[in-house]
Amino acid sequence: MSVSADSRKQILERIRSATQSSAPAANTNGGTRQYQIRGKLTAAARKDLFVERLREYDAEVVECEPEELENAIAAQLEASGRRRFVAPPGLPAGWLVPAAWKITGFEWDIDHDLPAGEIEKAEGVLTGCFCGVAESGTIVLHHSAMEGRRIITLLPDWHLCIVRATQIVETLPEYFDRCENRGEGSKGTKVQGNAPIGEVPGLVTWISGPSATADIEMTRIKGVHGPRFLNVIVVNDGDQGSGAGG
Amino acid sequence: MRASLFITCYNDTLFPETGRAVVRLLERLGVEVEFRAGQTCCGQMHANSGFRREAFCQARRLVRMYADAEAVVIPSSSCVAMIRDQYSGLFEDLGDEPLRREFAALAPRVYELSEFLIDKLGVEDVGAAFPHRVTYHASCHGLRALELGERPFRLLGKVRGLELVRLENPDRCCGFGGTFSVKNGGVSSAMLAAKLDDVLRTKAEFCTALDNSCLMHLGGAMHRQSQGMKTIHMAQILASTEDQPAESMQ
Amino acid sequence: MSALAEHEVIDRPILDPALAPPFPVAALPLLRNTQLRGNLAHAIDVIQARRARLVEEKTDWQALRAAASQIKDEALENLGALLEQFEERCTRAGGKVHWAADAAGARKIILEILREAGVDQVIKIKTMTSAEIQLNPFLEASGVHACETDLAEIILQLGDGEPSHIVVPALHVNRGQVREIFARRMGIEHLSDDPKALTEAARNYLRQKFLTVPAAISGANFLIAETGSVVVVESEGNGRMCLTLPQTLITLAGIEKVLPRFNDLEVMLQLLARSATGERMNPYTSLWTGVTRGDGPQRFHIILLDNGRSSILARKTGRQTLRCIRCGACMNACPVYRQTGGHAYGSVYPGPIGAILTPQLEQMRHAQSLPFASSLCGACYEVCPVRINIPEVLLELRARVTDEERKGLSRFFDPMYIGLRAAHAMFSRARLFHAAQRAGRIALGFFTRRDGWIHSLPGVGAKWTVSRDLRGLPKQTFHEWWQGRTRGTREQRRYRA
Repeated sequence: MSVSADSRKQILERIRSATQSSAPAANTNGGTRQYQIRGKLTAAARKDLFVERLREYDAEVVECEPEELENAIAAQLEASGRRRFVAPPGLPAGWLVPAAWKITGFEWDIDHDLPAGEIEKAEGVLTGCFCGVAESGTIVLHHSAMEGRRIITLLPDWHLCIVRATQIVETLPEYFDRCENRGEGSKGTKVQGNAPIGEVPGLVTWISGPSATADIEMTRIKGVHGPRFLNVIVVNDGDQGSGAGG
Repeated sequence: MRASLFITCYNDTLFPETGRAVVRLLERLGVEVEFRAGQTCCGQMHANSGFRREAFCQARRLVRMYADAEAVVIPSSSCVAMIRDQYSGLFEDLGDEPLRREFAALAPRVYELSEFLIDKLGVEDVGAAFPHRVTYHASCHGLRALELGERPFRLLGKVRGLELVRLENPDRCCGFGGTFSVKNGGVSSAMLAAKLDDVLRTKAEFCTALDNSCLMHLGGAMHRQSQGMKTIHMAQILASTEDQPAESMQ
Repeated sequence: MSALAEHEVIDRPILDPALAPPFPVAALPLLRNTQLRGNLAHAIDVIQARRARLVEEKTDWQALRAAASQIKDEALENLGALLEQFEERCTRAGGKVHWAADAAGARKIILEILREAGVDQVIKIKTMTSAEIQLNPFLEASGVHACETDLAEIILQLGDGEPSHIVVPALHVNRGQVREIFARRMGIEHLSDDPKALTEAARNYLRQKFLTVPAAISGANFLIAETGSVVVVESEGNGRMCLTLPQTLITLAGIEKVLPRFNDLEVMLQLLARSATGERMNPYTSLWTGVTRGDGPQRFHIILLDNGRSSILARKTGRQTLRCIRCGACMNACPVYRQTGGHAYGSVYPGPIGAILTPQLEQMRHAQSLPFASSLCGACYEVCPVRINIPEVLLELRARVTDEERKGLSRFFDPMYIGLRAAHAMFSRARLFHAAQRAGRIALGFFTRRDGWIHSLPGVGAKWTVSRDLRGLPKQTFHEWWQGRTRGTREQRRYRA
């Protein structure tokens, strides 16, 4: 497209003459980081803050011990009144078929490139996450095999997300620091499809509560196009490291 | 302590009682007041209207006039803000480096009235008496450019008999803005109406400020609407004593 | 009278700077529209209160602002290299990067991509940049229907309205008005005016479009040079739908959107939502890098748009305008915007940022009244998360307008110009100033009533006395009083001009 090529030359020339500088940016965080980087809370307080902030967004949150996780998942699925769920391919098998649960009849669609129409039929979705940020009540998905493709956490109306306490950081900068040391946050998961470029992820979704709008008279309405319900199970895995899946 | 009073062009012309009050107040506090007769304008009106060259000339005039002053006291927050925020840039942009340096030497000695009283003289109780219900309007320049903060309240708090009523939405502009009030008369009037609602709701007898331009705006609307409330510059409240009450505004 | 009837009497606002009337003229009908001003004040109060609370709890707010302005300045200083880096990384990840010097170029590129994809419909995420290049009417005229998906944008598109705010574009429309528009345009017979029901109606209306329309257009909040990634910040999930479901995605981004590093988001994302909507974090933020196999659009185009931005980059004072992250905090804080809303600004960018951005994007050819549409109160600068000194830029633009006037014919007719030039002559010598004071006393004496006040003035003065009285000039100026007090002292002779 020659229009674009001409424009490219023209724009870059204008920029160069405006800045008189073509030195590439140094690959360090710009200037000083005088703002708060590290959190100050204990692990327990950090987890409590995360739960509190999520609840402020109208997310439903329960906590459980690692060995109770499968029961907790089953209880959530049961209470949701839904039957048909979609799941990413990398979840531990125990999450999908709650062995100790009396009620069966949940229907699981494992997302191996399911068409959108199939995913649309699911009533809910179950995933893990890369990280939780306590201060803003944010769940971060890097769309690994435990978090799935973007579409599966978008079309279903109900999202159940498992967050291990050791995945929770207090501040947003702590999340970014964790990205540079990926092993810690997503142990046991393999990056699917979109490989990270350098050390940072290529696909990220930051989720802070269910979808919402305040476009009509600034009245906050939960649930527009994304999932209307966000449920979270926080697993108190303490210092046991990669306890996910139990 | 010797202070040179820069009265400002509009106070000189429209509000001489404010100047008289500053003189009376400072002399009562033992300050020797001088007044340099060649003074005119700080250049704010021109700078804010896009006439930078003209503003530059007036700024140069002011800097040269007060180069040797021990302290310059100005009873107008917007004029002090003009000097502090815009002079350096004017001298830099219009290429007068010696003048910029001359100004840099003078700048720390330029005070808004409440700054002079609290920061320079270190007084809060100026021995004033003003037995009235008063509300304080923080002019935008006093609030944001000079960051006067609690200074005005500390001064008013020590005035005998004065009952202070805090204003709602204290950070909202009255809509004056110099030539804005004329160029955008409709919007300016709407802003004024909103501000006046807040001011009148205090049911104060007087609305005071450290800037007569806002007060001229508010007072003009009060008079138009035949409201009982009056405007008064804070210098006049602080100059007022039991023996010698403030000069009437009308 | 129904809410709508009142809405309809307003002429459709013109948001094209080349055609819009000057600000004071455009403001008049808005100032008379009590319904609109009521809707506006309510919405602004809600956002402002939320923002204030969240900023207060953030003890490192000022440090974040400082870091953000530093990051943006660094990005602008290295803009050419960063854009090239972005292009290289994005291309490597499977994206196609286009460059557009102006609006027409960008429109042409977008249409060509859509024609190649063979679509006659495209879904859109709210993007101010596409409004800036007036994309929708162009596409419509070229046979492609652009369907907005943000709730506020749907309200405006179906109601044939124009945006009045960059974050909450339908801020000026109330629930009754929305109910009427939805009922009429979506063909829903019984619809309540409960925002929940209205939101539900929008969800149902769009769902099928999300699943079937094969192409989408988005803007970008940030571009990351280091990785070639694009970031979109939103609330409703319509953005995620557009970014995930269609096969073709076209992103239109101003060249100033680029950040050097992925890490820079740790600052920007903390500031943006708090400033924009008064939330700790917006519900959804998406980052993608080129094309991901099996996940999302398999054809990704990004258009880097200049359209006047490089000319802003060249200005010493004006450059900071390009730091803007479009949070809208300045308009929420602005007492002028509070009275008029966004339509008076004659541009898709209203409020204080619009007052500096629009005239500069237009390279001072249009929108020359905007730099004067401010009382210079400084509230915008105080809240700006990237510390754009908007009053400082306003003053610089005013000076540029005046410098044009100096060359033009208006200097012989414009009373403000003549008045200010005369005032300058008078201020340059104290004797002249004092003579003018005496002359003014006599002249204004004719208009001063017995109560000592002036109730009406002719000419420019009438614009003051339209709503305010003016106290008549006192009998004695301050310096006359001082002269009388100290007559004969040596001091006074020394400093006489």
